[in-house]
Amino acid sequence: MSASSDVAVRGVSAAALDALVERFGAGSIPEPQRRNALARFEELPARSSVRGGRTWKHDLAKLDLSELVPFASSGDAELDLESLSPAARRAGVTIERFSIARERHRVAFDRAFGAALDPRDDTFASLALAFQNHGTFIDVPAGVAIDDPIVIGYEARDTALFPYTLVSLGAGARATIVERLASVDGDAFACGLAELVLAENAHLTYAVEQRASASARVIATRRARLGANAELDFSLAELGAKHTVSRFRSQQTARGARTGVVAVFFSDGDQHVDIETETVHAAADTTSETIVRSAGIGHGQGRYLGNIKILADAHGADASLRDDALLLSEGAHIDSIPALEIAANDVKAFHGATVGAISDEELFYAESRGIDRAQAERMIALGFFEPAVSRFPTDALRDEIRRALEVKIAREGLGGTA
Amino acid sequence: MRRPYHGRDMSERGLRISSLFAGVGGTEGAPGNSEILKGIDLDVQPGSVHALMGPNGSGKSTLAFSMAGHPSYTVTSGSVTLDGEELIGLAPDKRAKAGLFLSFQYPAAIPGVSVANFIRTARQAVRPDDLTPAKFRALIFEKLDTLDMDAAFLSRYVNDGFSGGEKKRLEMLQLAMLAPKYAILDETDSGLDVDALKAVGKSVNALRASESGKDIGFLIITHYPRILQHIAADHVHILMDGRVVKSGGPELANVIEREGYDKIREEVAASVG
Repeated sequence: MSASSDVAVRGVSAAALDALVERFGAGSIPEPQRRNALARFEELPARSSVRGGRTWKHDLAKLDLSELVPFASSGDAELDLESLSPAARRAGVTIERFSIARERHRVAFDRAFGAALDPRDDTFASLALAFQNHGTFIDVPAGVAIDDPIVIGYEARDTALFPYTLVSLGAGARATIVERLASVDGDAFACGLAELVLAENAHLTYAVEQRASASARVIATRRARLGANAELDFSLAELGAKHTVSRFRSQQTARGARTGVVAVFFSDGDQHVDIETETVHAAADTTSETIVRSAGIGHGQGRYLGNIKILADAHGADASLRDDALLLSEGAHIDSIPALEIAANDVKAFHGATVGAISDEELFYAESRGIDRAQAERMIALGFFEPAVSRFPTDALRDEIRRALEVKIAREGLGGTA
Repeated sequence: MRRPYHGRDMSERGLRISSLFAGVGGTEGAPGNSEILKGIDLDVQPGSVHALMGPNGSGKSTLAFSMAGHPSYTVTSGSVTLDGEELIGLAPDKRAKAGLFLSFQYPAAIPGVSVANFIRTARQAVRPDDLTPAKFRALIFEKLDTLDMDAAFLSRYVNDGFSGGEKKRLEMLQLAMLAPKYAILDETDSGLDVDALKAVGKSVNALRASESGKDIGFLIITHYPRILQHIAADHVHILMDGRVVKSGGPELANVIEREGYDKIREEVAASVG
C-alpha cells in the first residue's frame, strides 16, 4: 500500500510537505501555518513540555523519522463518518473529516481550532500540525447532550499517520467520545494532535485506547481548554506500540472548571512508554484529580511525569495526583515523577507516587485461600489497575482494556519472583 | 504418637501438630535467628473446638503462620498433618487445598479485586466446579445474612479501607464459603466491638450447625477468653514461651479470665523448678 515506489522524497522535510500539499491540498490548516509548524519542529528541542521535566532517557531527538512518507496517503478519506452516531447527528452534532471541516463549517471550526493548543510549546505538536493528513472535527452545539459514545477509529500505516482531532462543546453541551488508535502495518508511525475545547458548563468524557502493533511508534499531544464550570473526564490507555510518547494538558481558564485525568499503561516486552499529564489551574475554584496506574513486565520501560500547576489567580483550587507503578519483572523499569507548581496561597494540592512490586503479604493472603501463586499474582496485578480502569467510560471499553492487560501478563508470564 | 484402636484411616484423621519447632527467618531444617516454637503437640479432631491461649510473645501467631506456610516463618523440625497428609513443605495454596483455613489477625488488602471475585476464585481453587454461578450467589447471600453484612460488601475491594470489624467479618465469610476441614482463627476477637464479636460467634456457630460445617475442626488462637463466650471450646491449651504448658477443658479459660497468665506462669516455673 506504500507509495514509496513513486516518490523519491522521504522523511519529514520541506520537500515532503510540498508533496503533501500538492497531492491533497492544505485542507483545514493553511499552508503558511503548516510551514511555520515545520520550522518550529526543526528548531525546538525534543524535550519535555513540562517545566522541570528531563529529557527522555531514550532520547527523542534521535527518533529516526527519515523513512517516513507523510504524503503517501490521506487516511482522512478512509474515515467512515456516516456510521458515527446517527443519534448524535440528529441532535445537531457535526461530525466531519478534518480536511474539509474548515471549508464546510467555517465559524464553528475557527472558533475551536487552535483554542486549546499552543504548538509553540511542543516539538511533536508542531510536527503533527505541519503534516496533518487525517482527522476528525466534532462540534456539539450549546445545550445538546448525547448519551451514546461517539467512537473515532484511526489506523496507522507504515507511511505515517498525522491525525488531528478537534472537539468543540458549546455551553452546557454533553458528550462522550472514544478515540481508538490501531495500526494496520507492523512498522506504523502515528503522530497525532487532539484539541478539546469546552465552553462553560460543558461536560466532555474523552477516552483514548491505543492498541497499535508491537513495532509501531505512536506520539500524541492532546490539549484541553475548559470554560467556567466545564468538566472534562479524560482517560488514556496506552497499551500498544513499541515506542509511545503521550502528552496531555488541561487548561482550566475559568472559575469552577474540573478535570479528571486517568492514565493506564503497561510496558511489556521491550516497549517504551512515556506519558506526561499536566493540569493547569488558571482560575479560582478549579479542581483536578489525576489517577495513574502503570506496570512494567519483561524489559518494559516507562516514564510518567505528572504536573499540577496552580497559577496565582487560582484561589480555592483543589488538585490531587496519585501515581502508582507496579514492577512485575526484574528487567522492567518505571520512572515516576510527580510535580507541583503552586503560585497561589489558599489552595489544596496533593500528590503521591509509589513504585513497587506485588507485596508478599497480599500474595500470601491469596495463596492461603488456595489460589496458586501464578494466579494470585495475576489477580493482584490486574486488580492493581482496576481503580483506574473502572473510571473509563463504557463497559465494552473497560473490558477491552482488562483483556489487553491480561494478554500482556499471559504473554510474559508471572511467578518469577518466588 | 497415639494409635487408637480403630482402623488406620480413622487414626489419621485430625489436624496433628507433632514436636513442632519453628521460628522467623532461616530455611527449612536450618534454624533462623530465633526459634519461637519449641516443640508443640496438638491434635484437633474433626468437629472439635480447641482454644490455644497465651500471652503476647508466646508464639501464637508463629504457630498459625507456620501451619499455613507463611514464607517468613520456618519450621525447623516436627510435623503438621491434616488427615494424614503432611503440610510442612507444601506451598500455602496446597495446604488450603488440603483443607486448612487461616483466619488472619491482620488480613491483607488487595485493592482492585472485589470480594465476590476473590471468594469465587478461592472457592474454585479449593473445590473446582462444585457450584454454578447461581448457586454460588445464593450461598454467599445466605452467609452474608448470617454475618449481618450488606450485599454491597461483595463489590468492595478485598479489605481495602475496611474497618477492623469488617475485616474479621470478611474472614468469617470466607471461612463459611470455603468450608475447610480445619480452621485456625488467629486472634479473631482482637479489635472487635461487641456487635462484631457476636456476629463472628453467630457465623461460626451457624457453620458448625450446618451440614457442610459440622465436621470442621477449629483451633482458636486467642489472648483473651472473651471469644470463648461466643464459641464454646471443648479443649483449652495454654501456650507460653513456645510450649504448651497446660491443657484442660473449658474451665481453664475461666482460670485465665480470673487470674490472668501469671498464676500459670508461676505454676510452670515451680514445676520446672
